[in-house]
Amino acid sequence: MTHLSIAPRSADDARLAATVERFARRIEAMPPGICPVVAQAALLRAGADQTCGKCVPCRDGLPRLAALADKLAACAADEADLACARELAQMIRDTSDCAIGYEAAEAFLQGLDEFAEEYASHLNERRCAAGIGQSVPCETLCPAHVNAPGYIALVAQGDYAGAVNMVRKDNPFPTACAFVCEHPCEERCRRTLIDAPLNIRGIKRYAVDRAPANTVAPPPRSVDTARTVAVIGGGPSGLTCAYFLALMGHRVTVFEARRRLGGMMRYGIPAYRFPRARLDEDIRGIMNAGTITVRCGDAVDAERFREIADTYHAVYVAIGAQKGKTLAIEGADAAGVMSAVDLLGRIGDGDVPDFSGKDVVVVGGGNVAMDCARTAVRAGAKSVSVAYRRRKEDMTALPTEVEAAIAEGVEMRTLCAPAAIEADEQGRCTALVVQPQMIGAVKRGRPAPVAADKPPVRLSADIVLVAVGQDIDAAPFEECGLSTTWGRFDADDGLHAQGGPRNVFVGGDCQTGPATVIRAIAAGKVAARNIDEFLGYSHKLACGVEAPAAQPNDRTPYGRVELAERPACERKRDFEDVECGMSREEVLQECGRCLRCDCFGIGVTEGGRQQYA
Amino acid sequence: MPSIIIDGAALSAREGSTILEAARQAGVHIPTLCYLKERSAIASCRLCVVEVAGEPHPVPACSTVVREGMEVTTRSPLLAAYRKMALELILSSKGPALVACAQRADGELAALCHELGVEAPTDAEAADGAAEGTLELRFPFAQGKESPRVEGNPFLSFDPNRCIKCQRCVGACNAAARNHSLGTRRRGALTLIAAPFGPNWRASECESCGNCAQACPTGAISLKARGAGADLPAYGDASDGAPADLSASGTRRVRTTCPHCGVGCQLELEVRGGRIRAARGAQGASNRGLLCVKGRSASFDFVGAPDRLTTPLVRNRATGELEPATWDEALSLVASRLSQLRDEHGGESLAAFACSRSTNEDVYLFQKMARAAFKTNNVDSCARV
Amino acid sequence: MTNSIDDIVDQADVIMLVGSNPEEAHPVIGMRIRQAVERGCRLIVVDPRDIGLAAQADIHLKLRPGTNVAFANGMVNLLIQLGLFDKDFVRERTEGFRIMQAQVEEFTPRFVAEECGVTVQDLVATAKMYGQAKRAAILYCLGVTEHTTGTDGVMALSNIAMVSGNLGVAGGGMNPLRGQNNVQGACDMGAGPDDLTGYQKVCDPAAREKFERAWGVELPSWPGTKATECFPAMLEGRIKGLFIFGEDPVRTDPDTHHVLKALEALEFLVVEDLFLTETAKLADVVLPGRSYAEKEGTFTNTERRIQRVRRAVEGPAGARLDTEVFTELMNRMGYEQPALTPAQLMDEIASLTPIYGGVSHARLDGEAAARGLQWPCPAPDHPGTPILHVSSFTNGVGAFSTPDYLRSAELPDEEYPLLLMTGRVLYQYNACAMTGRTTAANEVVGSSFIEINTHDAAMLGIADGDRVRVMSRRGQVEASARVSGKTNPGETWMPFHFQDGNANWLTHAALDRVSKAPEYKVCAIKVEKA
Repeated sequence: MTHLSIAPRSADDARLAATVERFARRIEAMPPGICPVVAQAALLRAGADQTCGKCVPCRDGLPRLAALADKLAACAADEADLACARELAQMIRDTSDCAIGYEAAEAFLQGLDEFAEEYASHLNERRCAAGIGQSVPCETLCPAHVNAPGYIALVAQGDYAGAVNMVRKDNPFPTACAFVCEHPCEERCRRTLIDAPLNIRGIKRYAVDRAPANTVAPPPRSVDTARTVAVIGGGPSGLTCAYFLALMGHRVTVFEARRRLGGMMRYGIPAYRFPRARLDEDIRGIMNAGTITVRCGDAVDAERFREIADTYHAVYVAIGAQKGKTLAIEGADAAGVMSAVDLLGRIGDGDVPDFSGKDVVVVGGGNVAMDCARTAVRAGAKSVSVAYRRRKEDMTALPTEVEAAIAEGVEMRTLCAPAAIEADEQGRCTALVVQPQMIGAVKRGRPAPVAADKPPVRLSADIVLVAVGQDIDAAPFEECGLSTTWGRFDADDGLHAQGGPRNVFVGGDCQTGPATVIRAIAAGKVAARNIDEFLGYSHKLACGVEAPAAQPNDRTPYGRVELAERPACERKRDFEDVECGMSREEVLQECGRCLRCDCFGIGVTEGGRQQYA
Repeated sequence: MPSIIIDGAALSAREGSTILEAARQAGVHIPTLCYLKERSAIASCRLCVVEVAGEPHPVPACSTVVREGMEVTTRSPLLAAYRKMALELILSSKGPALVACAQRADGELAALCHELGVEAPTDAEAADGAAEGTLELRFPFAQGKESPRVEGNPFLSFDPNRCIKCQRCVGACNAAARNHSLGTRRRGALTLIAAPFGPNWRASECESCGNCAQACPTGAISLKARGAGADLPAYGDASDGAPADLSASGTRRVRTTCPHCGVGCQLELEVRGGRIRAARGAQGASNRGLLCVKGRSASFDFVGAPDRLTTPLVRNRATGELEPATWDEALSLVASRLSQLRDEHGGESLAAFACSRSTNEDVYLFQKMARAAFKTNNVDSCARV
Repeated sequence: MTNSIDDIVDQADVIMLVGSNPEEAHPVIGMRIRQAVERGCRLIVVDPRDIGLAAQADIHLKLRPGTNVAFANGMVNLLIQLGLFDKDFVRERTEGFRIMQAQVEEFTPRFVAEECGVTVQDLVATAKMYGQAKRAAILYCLGVTEHTTGTDGVMALSNIAMVSGNLGVAGGGMNPLRGQNNVQGACDMGAGPDDLTGYQKVCDPAAREKFERAWGVELPSWPGTKATECFPAMLEGRIKGLFIFGEDPVRTDPDTHHVLKALEALEFLVVEDLFLTETAKLADVVLPGRSYAEKEGTFTNTERRIQRVRRAVEGPAGARLDTEVFTELMNRMGYEQPALTPAQLMDEIASLTPIYGGVSHARLDGEAAARGLQWPCPAPDHPGTPILHVSSFTNGVGAFSTPDYLRSAELPDEEYPLLLMTGRVLYQYNACAMTGRTTAANEVVGSSFIEINTHDAAMLGIADGDRVRVMSRRGQVEASARVSGKTNPGETWMPFHFQDGNANWLTHAALDRVSKAPEYKVCAIKVEKA
C-alpha cells in the first residue's frame, strides 16, 4: 500500500526542473537556419520520449514517425515514405488518447504543409532548400545583419569609435538602435545555452555613450558617380538609404514633409526613450557621409513625385505609416478624442500638451499605446489608463514598456473592448464605455477575445488617445501607378516598386506596414544596394575597422546585466531619458559572455555568416 | 437508458455503458485487443476507435460512455485504415516471434490480422525472400536484440519478445485476481510488463494463478507445462468472450467443473490428440472466469499420469502381493466376499466410504449400492475428514 | 453456504472470516474476497494464524485454537449488550432467544478475551463492526468444524448471524466453505449413515418407504455408523468388510497408526481409485476408477450450485466407469440394477429428492449452462435458490441453539508443550493424489514442514529451515521448520498434504460429539531438532 505524500512519486521530478529548463533554453537557442525537417524530427523525438507508454499510436507510432522524419531529413526518403508518414501522423493525431501523442502528430502535419517546399526539396533535390544552413545567430536575426560579435569585441577592447563604425557598416543609426531597438539579435543568442542572451543593445549603448556618433568619422566616400537619387521620407529607412548611397558616391536629395529629419524616431518615439539630442548625433553622423541634400517641409504630392521620378536617376520612397487609425464607434468624433500619431507628432515639434487634472484613457496595446500613456503621465494627467481588448500578455508592446508604464502609474484595463465614447452637451468627451471580454480560442496564433456576459463598464475620460495602428498615406503614389496591397506598396525582394516609373524603389513601414526602426533601417540598406546595382554599380564599402581576435569561451554561467531605469516617481515628471547605461565593469562582464560565434563553429566556414560585402 | 444510433440503427443503451458494451449488446462487432471485459479498459490499442457525429476525431469505443442521442459509426474507410495501421504498429513493435504468433491460425491476433487486412505477402518475391512467419507490415521490426525470458516460476513464464504491452495481464492480476503482483516497470517507450516470474518469484505475492496468461493475447505470458505445442498463444482469449477458432489445430474445448475445492470454478479443458493440454477459466457464476493455480495447472496432469491404475488388482493369498486380475475375477471376488459377510453377519458388518471428489451420480449409485445391495447404513463420505 | 459468492462479494458490508484461509484453500474465493475488500467491504479475520488476508483485515482476532465457541458466544453476548441485535428479526423469525441469552451472559468480554487470548478492545470493535453493518456475512471453514466442539462452533456462529438478522439477506448469511469439489454433493446424495438423498432421514419411515418403493428393495432401518467411528468398529470386529471409493484414509484420517490397525483388522477391503494409494496398498481388491475428466455428471459446489462435469478424454484402457462397476456389483450381489447413464441417474435422483427435483442434465446443458442450479430446486421450472431462508426458515422459525464451550480434547502439557494445527497450502490439494502429479506444484512445495513461532524456536534451538522431529502421543514425523511469527507462541501448524512427515501420524482422533469430525485442528506435540 502506498500512502499519500506531498513529494511526487518520482524523487527526481524536482531535480529534473533544472534539466527541463536547460532543455527549454536549448530550444530557445535553436540556431537560425536549421532545417525545418530536422527541427520537426527533433520535436517528434521529444514527443516520443515523453510518451507514457500506454497507447499504440503514441508509444509505437511516434518513434516510427520520428524515424520516417529522420529519413526525410537525411534526404533518403521517397514519396512512399512521405505518404506513409502523413498517413501515420493522421492516425496518431486522430487516435491518440492524450495530447502527448496527438499534438506531436498535429505539429508534424502542420509542418508538412508549412514546409512543403522544404520537404519537396528533400525528396526531389536530395538537399535542403537554398538558404538552409546555420549561421551566426545575432548577425542573422538582425534585419540589418549588423556584425554584433565584432562590435561587442571592440567594446570589450575599449575601441568605442571602432564599435560605432562596425555598427555603421550595416546600420547608420547606432544611437537609435542603442536606445530603442527591439533587439531581435538577442532572440537566439547561443549564450542562452549557458545562461541567458547577451544584452547586446546595452553594450551598443555603452559604445555610443562613450563615442557619440557625430564624433566618429564615417569611412571615406567613394568617388562621385554624378548619379542622382531622390529619397522621399527622412525617417530611419530613407536616411539609411541616403547614407549608403552617399558613401557609394551617389548624389542624394532627401525630401521630408515635416520640419525636421528623423521620422517616427522624432515624431513617434517620445524623448524620454530616445532623447532628441542623441537622435541628432546619428543624423549628423549620416550627414557627415557627404553629398546629401535635405529638403525639409517639402511634402511630395503626385505631380511632384512624377517630376522627381523623371528628374532623378532613381527614387526611394520611404514615407512610413503616418496616418493614425480611428475607432469606428459611437462618439469617436467627440472633442478630446485624438490619435496617438497626432499627439506624438505635435510633441516631436515641441508642442507638449497640458493634461493637468484630466483623466486620460489610451486605447490599444502596442508600443505606441505605451508611448502615449507614458507621455500623458508626463503631460500632467490626473489619471492614465490603457484599455485593451486582450490580456496583458497579449499586448504587442515590449513587456518592459508595459512594466515601465505600470510603474509610472498607468492602469492597465485589459479585456476591455471600446464600445462607445460618451460626450457632454458641448460635445466634449466624458467617458469611454468598454465591453468586458473573455479570452477565447486561439485564432491565427493568438488567443482572440470574445464579448463576456458582463455589463459594459464606463471609464471616465476627458481625453481618449487612440493607438490602434497606423495607415500609409499612399494615395499620391498610387496615382502615379505604384501598386499597393492592403494600403502598402508592393515591391519585389530587391524593393523595386511594382507599377509606376521603373526607377522607383520602396521600403520601410510604407511597404511592410508599421514595424520597427531596425527593419526600416534594413530596408534602407537593401534599397541602397539595389539602387547601386540599378545604377550599374556594385560598390563595396569598407568600414575601416576589423573585429578583434576571439578569446576562448568563458563557460561560467552569469546573470544577464539589465539596464537600470531612473526611479518611476522621478522620471515620470520629465521627458528626460529614463534608462541608465551600464558601468564599465558591467559592460566588460557582458561582453565577456559573448561566445564569438563569428569565430567558433559555423562562423569560420565559407558561407557561415549572413553579411553583405 | 440513453437512446443512441449505432451504424444507423437506433437502440437503447444501459445508462453509463460504453459504446463498446452497447454495440456488443446490439450484436455490432467492434474489433478490440487491449480490452478485456471486467478486467481492463485502458484504451491503449486504439483498434476499437469509432466515429461519433460531432466529434472531430474518432474515440475509443471501450472507454467512451454513451450519451443521449449519440450517433456512432463503427465502420468507415478511415477507421479501417487507422485500425489496420494500429495493428501494424503493434505487430512490428517486436521481432519475428510476435509475427509468428500472429500467424497461428487459431490465435486471437490471427483473427484480428484477417479482419483488419494485415496479410502475409502474396507476391512471389516477398514470399521467396522472407522466411515463414512474415506479414506485410509497413514498418520494420522495432526490436533488435532478443530479451531474455523470465522463467523462475515453475508454472509461468514471460517472453518479453512477444509482449505488446496491452496490459490485459495487468488487468487480470489487479482488477480480477486482485493479486497486485503484476504491473508495469519502467516508463514511456520503455514500458515493460513486470511479470513476477523471475528468480525471486517466491518473494512476490504471486499465487501462480495464471489468470494473466489466460488474458495474454500473444502468449508472452504462458504456462510452462503445456507439453507439445507450447508455442500456441496460450489462450487467445478473444476479448469479446467469443471462443477462438481452434479447429485448425485440432483442439477441442470441453467445459467442466474444477475437481479440487468446493468453489466450483468452471473450466475449459483444451484437448488435443486425446490428451488434456491445458485448462482455462470459463465464465462461471462463482469464478467469473478466474482460476487458481491448482485449477489451471494441476487439474489434468494426474488424468494422464503414467501410474494410473489400468487393471484390477487382487491380493495373492500365498504371496500377500497385489497381482493384476481380470475385471470378472475381481468383481466376482468382491461380490462373493461381501455377499458372504452380509449374509453371515448382516449388513451391519459392511461399510462403504464414498468419494467426495466424485460426481453426484457416482455417489448416488454408490450409496444405493451400499443400502440396497450391501444392506448397510454404514455409508459415509469424507465430509468430516 | 446460505448465500452465494456473488452476493457476498458485491453486497456485504462486513465479511467475518472464521477459521478459514481461502487464499490457499479456496483461492478463487480468496481473490473475490480481496475484490470485496477493495470495493470497501470491511474484513474481520478470526484465525490463530497470520493468514494472507489478515494483512488486509480491519481486525484480526488471532485467537487461541479451539476457542471458537467462547468467541462466538461472547460475540452474541456483546451484540445483545450493545443493543446491536435485530429485535424485529429475533421476534418474528426465531425462537429460544431468552434461553440462549441467559446462556451467553457468562461469556463476558473479559472472560472471552482471556480464554481466546485476544484483547477486549478488539472483541468490542469486532462486535460493533459486525453488528452495525447492514449486511454482514460469516464465512467459515475447517478451522471451525474440525474440533471436538465443531458442531457447537457452527451453532454458536449461527447465533451471531441470527441474532443480528443476517440470515436470508443478500450479502449476509452463514457460509461454510466446503473443502472438496463435491463434498456438498456427496452429503446431498445420501453418503451419510443417517441421511438418504436430500437429507431425508433413514429413520423416517415415510422417507424410507419412498425409497424402498422406488428401488424395489427393503432397506435397513438401523442407524449407521459414521466413517470416523467405523475405525474403532473395525478394531472391535463389528465391521468386517469395507468398500472405499476414492478415499485415502491412511493419509487423510487422524492418528494414522490407529487407521492402519483398523484397516488391517478387516476381513475384506476393496478400494476403488485412480492410483495405488497408501490405503489401496492394504486392500484385498483394488479396482481402477475413472477421473472427473473421463465421465459425465455433476458436482455441487459450496454454494449448493449444481454444475456439469463433462467427459474430455477416454482415460486409460482397463479402467471402467465407476457407475458401471457399482451396477455390476449390485447385480452380482443380488440387486437388479439396470445400467443407467449419468443423466438417467440424475433423473432418478430428482424423482426421489425434493431439493434436486428440478435438476436434470438437460437443464444444466441448456438454460442453466452458465450459472448451474442452486438447490433447493424443487421443480423443472424453478430457477434455483441463491439465498436460503429469505422469508422463512426451513422449519418455519429459526431456533437459537445453546452451544456449550469445552476446551479441546488434548491441550499442551509439560510433556507435549506445543499445540499443533493442520491445514492446506495453495499449491497442493489434500493427499496430493491429483496435485502431486503436477511437477511444478511439487517444485514449489513438495515436502512437509512445520510452522513454529520464533520465540519457541529460539527456546528449542531451532533455526529456520532446520529438520525437526515432531512427536505426539500417537506418533512422530520429520519435517522442515519454518520459523516466523505466523503462529502465536506455543502454537505450531503443519500442512496435511505430504506423505513425508504426514501430520496425521500426530493428529488426534477425538471426535465431535455430533458430526463425528475429528479434531484435526488441535493436538499436543513436542518438537526437537532432528
